[in-house]
Amino acid sequence: MNNAVTESLLMHAWFGLLGLMLILYVITDGFDLGVGILSLFRPRESETDRNMMIESIGQVWGANETWLVALGGALFGAFPAAYAMLLSNLYGTVMLLIASLIMRGAAIEFRHAAGPKYKLLWDRVFGLGSLLAAIAQGIVLGKLLTGLQAGTLSLGFVFITVIGVVSGYALLGATWLVRKTAGWLQRTARMYSIIALCATVGCAIVVTIGTRVISPVGSARWTDPGVFHVLIFLGVIAAAVSCYVVYSIAKGGDYGPFNGSRVLFLTSFIGLAVSLFPDLVPGHLTVAAAASDSSTLVFMLLGIGMVLPIMITYNVYQYQSFSGKVISAEH
Amino acid sequence: MSALDLARGQFALTTIFHILWPILTISLSAYLCVVESLWVRTGNIVWYRHARFWSKLLLLNFTVGVVTGIPLEFQFGTNWARFSQYAGQFFGNILGFEGAMAFMLEAGFFGIVMFGWGRVSKGVHLFATTMVALGSSISVFWIMVANSWLQTPAGVSVVDGKLAVTDYVSAIFNPDMPWGVSHMWFAALETGFVVVAGVSAYYMLKRRNSDFFLHSFKLALVLLAIVAPIQIWLGDGSGYDVFATQPAKGAAIEGHWHTNAPGTGADWSLLAWPNQAKQANDWSLEVPGMLSMLATHSPHGQVKGLTDFAVADQPPMLPLLYYAFRVMAGVGFLLMGLAFWTSYAVYKSRRQPDALLAQRKLLLAWVLAIPLPYIAVECGWIVREVGRQPWVVYGLMRTKDAVSNVPASSVSASIVMFAMFFVVLAASFFIFARKWLKQGPDLTLVPPADPKRADPNSTAIGY
Repeated sequence: MNNAVTESLLMHAWFGLLGLMLILYVITDGFDLGVGILSLFRPRESETDRNMMIESIGQVWGANETWLVALGGALFGAFPAAYAMLLSNLYGTVMLLIASLIMRGAAIEFRHAAGPKYKLLWDRVFGLGSLLAAIAQGIVLGKLLTGLQAGTLSLGFVFITVIGVVSGYALLGATWLVRKTAGWLQRTARMYSIIALCATVGCAIVVTIGTRVISPVGSARWTDPGVFHVLIFLGVIAAAVSCYVVYSIAKGGDYGPFNGSRVLFLTSFIGLAVSLFPDLVPGHLTVAAAASDSSTLVFMLLGIGMVLPIMITYNVYQYQSFSGKVISAEH
Repeated sequence: MSALDLARGQFALTTIFHILWPILTISLSAYLCVVESLWVRTGNIVWYRHARFWSKLLLLNFTVGVVTGIPLEFQFGTNWARFSQYAGQFFGNILGFEGAMAFMLEAGFFGIVMFGWGRVSKGVHLFATTMVALGSSISVFWIMVANSWLQTPAGVSVVDGKLAVTDYVSAIFNPDMPWGVSHMWFAALETGFVVVAGVSAYYMLKRRNSDFFLHSFKLALVLLAIVAPIQIWLGDGSGYDVFATQPAKGAAIEGHWHTNAPGTGADWSLLAWPNQAKQANDWSLEVPGMLSMLATHSPHGQVKGLTDFAVADQPPMLPLLYYAFRVMAGVGFLLMGLAFWTSYAVYKSRRQPDALLAQRKLLLAWVLAIPLPYIAVECGWIVREVGRQPWVVYGLMRTKDAVSNVPASSVSASIVMFAMFFVVLAASFFIFARKWLKQGPDLTLVPPADPKRADPNSTAIGY
């Protein structure tokens, strides 16, 4: 195989691996953040609800968040130019993300240690941190799709992606709660699921139209041969899955809504990857221009590619150790 | 202040605050490994209760460590974009390794360590604790590989204005790496063992559960008596390496201005006040010929003086470097002395444990020693990082060329934000740690049946 082919294979493998890490992060920490967002809707006196909600993610949120850290490191190594461009251009947003993750992470552990007087305060910090993290990630998505454009139109677009990410995470969180809880809280979670699903689907439609109209992605990439067909195919799957989620909630399924929501996210992110490619930052930086040399990409593939299956294995083991419904915290 | 100074200030703030926590996570998880192994091997319930007691401190500490680590992963891109682009092919790669290999191991098993008692067998629990300890130590490894490469970059060449890796073995095993990794790892171990000894001494001083804490005190002491002297040896080796690979840093931490003539030994200043403007020490207390011995391990070894370097290539803040180094080394010797002396006292009182409890000043010394390893670690990092200036990648990229093109106002705002968060985090930690200290160990804890699976479909809540 000649060098150019190897090089291009390697950078595309890394584009795919980063996509895998991103989707693992978004789905796993997405439901953590969603649970946090929904906890804001539980009033002061519903401490038991909040205990159950937070307990349902208590053992796994740390590992879930770690996908973001792994993603950051892998992006830094495999595509240093993209890491540098995105983070320095989105300075304020990244600081908001860091701040929100500090709030969420500290509050979820400190609420256990805090006295009864301060528990509500920490719960609210936890919820607010989760909400702000979703908002920050929504801004990153919107900015990425518009190729870091400034202007009112882009601002409006970013606003919609923010609502989309917040409601999408709320959907993951709500369906996770359907799976992990029982009784009254589960019924409430079903109601949340329906509302969040409607908002998510609505935003997804607006974002799709918006991308076509204002983004370099829509005007350039989507007109490439075959791309639009793939997107339509993904859209059909997404529509079918959305119907399945509604059906499963109506039928009172425990696992179906969460599984459906995960597939919904998966199709959206495949759509995102297809839309961005071959750019990493649309209109500014291609995968090829941002990629490290082959020596780095090979070495990283050996290091990270090999441990990725192991990482996933013990993550699964961890989920299994804490499988099943959360039961009441009062004892 | 310029955007560069602000970015440096932010880096200093976030790293100085962050490193306080991982050093205890590394050592306390390693300590828990030992404690849990003792529990599994001997079946002595004291060790089970110790595991439960210290793991609560680990949880609090781990939490602050995780959340304060997040800025570090991203601030190379936000504040040092030009560095990230220039050095990312190696540096970013290594940070990626840390995230994938170390953090996931820690985070993946931490839930089981904290909440898994009764849900997994004690053997599996010990395995999980070992994985957390291993994960945090792998983290030390990769972070120190990355940092030591900044000190003594090897295995790379400049291609298209960026550093491409030509030889991974020499980049990873760069000259500073063996010293950097081991000195930091032992610093972390020493910190945790001092904390365990100090907290145990506090209870013994209060005559609260003295028998229980005698176990942890003695165990920490044994470990310290091994670790503290090794750390001094590693410190000496690191110093030797610095004089060989970063002579300007070596000269700066010793206030050494003029290269010694051949056939003579360089004088060592025990105490001095280096003055960069005058390019000399304002005053100094010197030991003739000693610096050649310390820096080169030979009586007439050549030690380059600072005046051999252009002022623009000299590290800044010389008094800070000079005294940070002395505080670090002083703490190292102090802790070794304290560990040896106390070991002797424990040995003498081996037949009457109460005699040890009567040595109140010795116990108090351990309580007061708790902050010392933290101070030493911070000083060590100041020596390492400030001493590398004006370079970010030694000899290859200057710090002033590394900074992002971000408005100073944005950087100031984020500094204020981080400072506020850190105050709240530190205050919360101390409030909760005080509660933990007041509550003390639960001496009625009985280990759960092994393994307990009363209802496989429910997640029991254990805190």
